Amino acid sequence: MTPPTDSLAPEMTNSVPAISARGLVKTFTGRSGTVEAVRGVDLTVQPGEVFGFLGPNGAGKSTTVRMLTTLTGITGGSASVAGVDVASDPDGVRHKIGVALQEAGLDMRQTGRELVVLQARLFGLSRADAGKRAEELLELVELSDAADRLIKGYSGGMKRRLDLASALVHRPDVLFLDEPTTGLDPSSRLVVWDEVRRINAKGTTVFLTTQYLEEADQLCERLAIIDDGKIVTEGTPATLKAELKARRGLEADPTLDDVFLDVTGRRRERGAGEVSEVAS
Amino acid sequence: MRTVLVLGERAVREAKRTPDALLPTLLIPIFFLIVNTGQAAKIFPTGSTPWLEGQSYAAFQLPATLLLAASFGTAALYLVEEIENGYFDKLRATPISRGSLALGRLSAEALKSTLMTIVILAIAFPFGIRIASGVVGVVLLVLLTAGWAVGYSGFLQFVALKTRNAAATNSAGLIFFPLLFLTPNFVPRGLLARPMEIAATFNPVTYVMEALRSLILVDLDWAVIGVGFLVTGGFVGLTLWMNIRTMAKYD
Repeated sequence: MTPPTDSLAPEMTNSVPAISARGLVKTFTGRSGTVEAVRGVDLTVQPGEVFGFLGPNGAGKSTTVRMLTTLTGITGGSASVAGVDVASDPDGVRHKIGVALQEAGLDMRQTGRELVVLQARLFGLSRADAGKRAEELLELVELSDAADRLIKGYSGGMKRRLDLASALVHRPDVLFLDEPTTGLDPSSRLVVWDEVRRINAKGTTVFLTTQYLEEADQLCERLAIIDDGKIVTEGTPATLKAELKARRGLEADPTLDDVFLDVTGRRRERGAGEVSEVAS
Repeated sequence: MRTVLVLGERAVREAKRTPDALLPTLLIPIFFLIVNTGQAAKIFPTGSTPWLEGQSYAAFQLPATLLLAASFGTAALYLVEEIENGYFDKLRATPISRGSLALGRLSAEALKSTLMTIVILAIAFPFGIRIASGVVGVVLLVLLTAGWAVGYSGFLQFVALKTRNAAATNSAGLIFFPLLFLTPNFVPRGLLARPMEIAATFNPVTYVMEALRSLILVDLDWAVIGVGFLVTGGFVGLTLWMNIRTMAKYD
């Protein structure tokens, strides 16, 4: 398959960070009280990077993504994406970003082609241009043969790839992927990784949350680990591992998982036949 | 407007693919028309009941049937489904106005209601029901019923956005039944017992029903029709505003 030759992304200059967040805070108030989900996150992601955002369940990863993608209001601090302020110009941000959230939210009663065409038309493309764009993207994610089938018949991996395609209709500057491979089998996961690399190679900045440390190690140039609503470390996978090795005086090379457990103060325990993550 | 049509087109496609969701919304109102007419037609014979204007009691009951059919919209339940599976977030992340997002499915409800009204009229005509106000009256009847469908579906969509729960949204749909029975559903308003008459006077559905009835039984009585359109327009405006406000604050 030959991928389309057009640029998927963007005219972002290198002087403007792809993503910038300063003191980002999100609190939720409910009947049971107030929960501070994100407690002062600072982030800078440069254009063209694949940036990983890691953390245990409930650490604030998805809430941070939802704030940066305008889906949830910001309680405190500020953020900009592709140079556009998230709070004051959410529509401006929406023009610049592509979003593929957890669980591949798709309309199961449409065909793959209808879904991508609809998404393209919502971004202002004419019916003819939307059709052409859908054709290109479905080919890119290798779904051309299944394009006219209802999405409810797609496998998990096909849904993820379709979600990716629909996030790219308007050639976004920044692509947000929230746990794009959760629940996928190993081979589908590799296909999604290839897609992410291909998309990034065409110039799109990728902000990726994941709970799979191997995924972060494979894909991300830099990453940040968030725990309890705060970023606890940030750097390239190599520097984070080297820093741990030097600090602990380890003989063997540590893995990213070792770094994760070290900075979050967690350890793995086996109970009832399952390995779970617990606070030390 | 373009994005409203794009989203509306999708909702129409969805309705075509789920005919089993559409069929009861047609059959139940027709069932009520048959049962109500069967129960009361002998009490109100055409010849000796002046407010039937020479038509059968079924013609008097027809507005309730049309309003019931128009109040069975599926937009809100599909919206809850989309909220639950995450697709609604995908739509919210596009740069379209929140008004378009609210109106997309509602525009499809208007079209569905139009088709439903035409089908009900086509079923009613062979039984001798006539639209006294002629072709213009039929058009107004279809428009008014479609307007009510948009308003009531808008109300249910608001409940869906607030509760994000299918059971709560479904239950809210049942509110239409007490509203329907607090109208001059079986006899004109002037013949209702005093407490019922007061309740019907404060019930907006009364004015829509009276406008539809006027189109079917009387002719173009612009005063009655005008009030019906005003009430429906106000209801649509109110529910649309509630939808847009809720979507703007949606977290």
